[in-house]
Amino acid sequence: MPEVFIDGKRYEYDEEKDEMLLQFILDQGLEVPFFCYHPSMSIPANCRQCMVKVGTPVKDRETGEFELDEDGERKIRWFPKFQTSCSTRLQDGMVVLTQESSEEVARAQKDNLEFILINHPLDCPICDQAGECPLQIQTYKYGPEGSRFEVKKVHKPKHVDLGPRVTLDAERCINCTRCVRFTEEISETHQLTIVDRGDSNYPTTGPGETFDDPYSLNTVDICPVGALTSTDFRFKARVWEMNQTPSIDITNGKGCNIDLWTRDNEVLRITPRQNKEVNDYWMPDEGRKAYERFNENRVDRPYIKLDGDNQSNTSWNNAIETFAEVLESNNPGDITIIGSPHASVEENYVFNKFFNLLGTSNAKFTPHVIPGSGDGFLITDDQAPNTNGCRVIKLDETDEQSIKATVSAAKVVIILSDDLIGRDILSSSDLNDPYTISFATNNTETTKASDLVIPITCIAEHAASYVNVDGRIQRSYPAKETKYTNRRLNLEMSEGRLDRFGTNFDNWVSEENKVDCLPIWDFLNKLGDRLGLDFKYDHSREIFAELSNSLDILSDVSYERMDEEKGVQLPIKQEEVKA
Amino acid sequence: MADLSFTQEELDEIERLKDKFPTAKAATLRVLWLAQNKYGHVKEEIQSLVAEALDVPKSHVHGVARFYTQYYKEEKGKFVLDVCTCLSCQLCGGYDILDHLEEELGIEAGETTEDGMFTIQEVECLGACGYAPMLQVTNGVYVNNLTKEKVDTLLENLKNGNMPEFESMAMPELEKRNQAASK
Ligand code: SF4
Ligand code: FES
Ligand code: FES
Repeated sequence: MPEVFIDGKRYEYDEEKDEMLLQFILDQGLEVPFFCYHPSMSIPANCRQCMVKVGTPVKDRETGEFELDEDGERKIRWFPKFQTSCSTRLQDGMVVLTQESSEEVARAQKDNLEFILINHPLDCPICDQAGECPLQIQTYKYGPEGSRFEVKKVHKPKHVDLGPRVTLDAERCINCTRCVRFTEEISETHQLTIVDRGDSNYPTTGPGETFDDPYSLNTVDICPVGALTSTDFRFKARVWEMNQTPSIDITNGKGCNIDLWTRDNEVLRITPRQNKEVNDYWMPDEGRKAYERFNENRVDRPYIKLDGDNQSNTSWNNAIETFAEVLESNNPGDITIIGSPHASVEENYVFNKFFNLLGTSNAKFTPHVIPGSGDGFLITDDQAPNTNGCRVIKLDETDEQSIKATVSAAKVVIILSDDLIGRDILSSSDLNDPYTISFATNNTETTKASDLVIPITCIAEHAASYVNVDGRIQRSYPAKETKYTNRRLNLEMSEGRLDRFGTNFDNWVSEENKVDCLPIWDFLNKLGDRLGLDFKYDHSREIFAELSNSLDILSDVSYERMDEEKGVQLPIKQEEVKA
Repeated sequence: MADLSFTQEELDEIERLKDKFPTAKAATLRVLWLAQNKYGHVKEEIQSLVAEALDVPKSHVHGVARFYTQYYKEEKGKFVLDVCTCLSCQLCGGYDILDHLEEELGIEAGETTEDGMFTIQEVECLGACGYAPMLQVTNGVYVNNLTKEKVDTLLENLKNGNMPEFESMAMPELEKRNQAASK
């Protein structure tokens, strides 16, 4: 195996991988500061921050043996200048000194930072990036104490709306070209370029163009400074005030891995979480908007229709009682249940199982696909996160017409999280005759037309799994509390600084924004109690364990495995799926 | 600006330029130049025209045009006088020349005379320090070893449509050496 020596320690590397020094160093858990390098894009080596001292051993031309010095150590021929480690290919026998072992290198990195900061506005106190800013972090760790440049800084445009979602502060830009390379190499819209030169350059769009790339917000994530900011999230929260919880994008079928950032039980932003198998470092802008539906327009407490079309809030007890009475006074044959590709595997499963116990027939569902809306990258024709999940647990896949037909033949219709009216599959008059019960996270046309609405948790409030278009099963974690959960008691929930150190008596902690809703299995437990059914699940984990015991396809899948491997690929034939 | 387009002849020329390079992108400089020679500037609409002709992203052409000061991103006078005020020229009176020009034309550096005849720009070293102070006329000929009188004559000539001739500058040291070598 070829070897390299980094700060005096020997490492072996795999020649096949053709790796660059910086990536290799990072892979070993070591550190060299850098800005412009990004593992998924080309390497321009323009920030010069990753400089290290590099040498190769001297070999005797004739014998091919290493030449040794008086102490018997290999003689090293140092490269005449420091090298940018991001663009230096590993070579057998290479000797590398980083800032950890070479004062010279530490000094070079420090000086480079002093240069980068000459015209940087240093407005960290009002900058969104503060707290997660590579420039800030590297400066603290490797930068100079102060600057020797006491002359007036160069000023550049301070507020440019590059596009509908991205705002540029050109003064903060260090011209790493990550954003430009992103539009050239990843999203391929070629919408950005660097203009002007020297100390006055900055990125912008072409003449008459706007940065409306459907993936534009990824540039905000990869910008190593606060130059590119999300127009929507700007000034909303400091990063250290928020909790970060892993989750899955539910706005289409790809299931991009994401993080939900919450404060005071509101999701404030959504960012991609790296997963090589699914979305790498990226996600579509559309998916980031989903935070709105987690916070706003939620079904909060059960609704019931008493007189005519007027819905009013009711108590959980009354909701359970009404629900039970409806079930008791109707023939199971007259009850139609409709599952949903928009709900998780666990929800669909318990939903179906519960009513099957009462004698209804299997739940139906219809995929939510808009042909042509996908782009072959991270946006799919499939509008729902769990179409394949419904197939895995064998719900009846039906087309839109037959859903309409079964609804009109039924006396009771029970719908799980699917806005069938909004999707134009049903019209509200279709729901006039049957007694309609909706389990729903958000208010929709369908909940409006329902006789009873049961509020259930959304993906941001429960742990549950979803199977994406490619047949990969991945899961969510609870990120925000409901009226009935508690971050401190629920060991599954992440805690941020505000949660850990705040109390209800601090004016910077808010108990609001907790939705009065239950995981569907909790509600069904209660309903089962009332009906005398043998039905009890304390946690979605239990539901999943049962599924994994009963379905071959899930037999070796568990939450643990999904966590460790960032999701598990199920043996689902791709052609079937792409629908 | 009404109806921007390249003539068939120009398009043929663009094709020829494209063929000289491995990629169309690489021909951007030359085609921008062609466009500037035609329109006298490469404002944004011209940049778009160039991008279309080359079938490359507009952002790319924009980036190139904004990088080089020789491309005019706005309309300039018929004659653009780039006065060097970088170190050598400055020491040899570059600012005196600039001041004099500004006074003569009644405009400041960066501005264009009302009749659209002259634009003055203050530029950095043009690599002619040996015969400082100097200026360049519209990305073309250099006028060297400037004096106020020389500037006046230049303006007079330009007004009459006479461009200064290219001046081959002697390098005294080099000449001495060459002579010594040929002996
Ligand atoms: S805006 Fe950010 S990503 Fe783009 S070049 Fe500047 S520093 Fe780099
Ligand atoms: S990371 Fe190596 S030069 Fe920027
Ligand atoms: S300083 Fe004027 S030409 Fe060099």
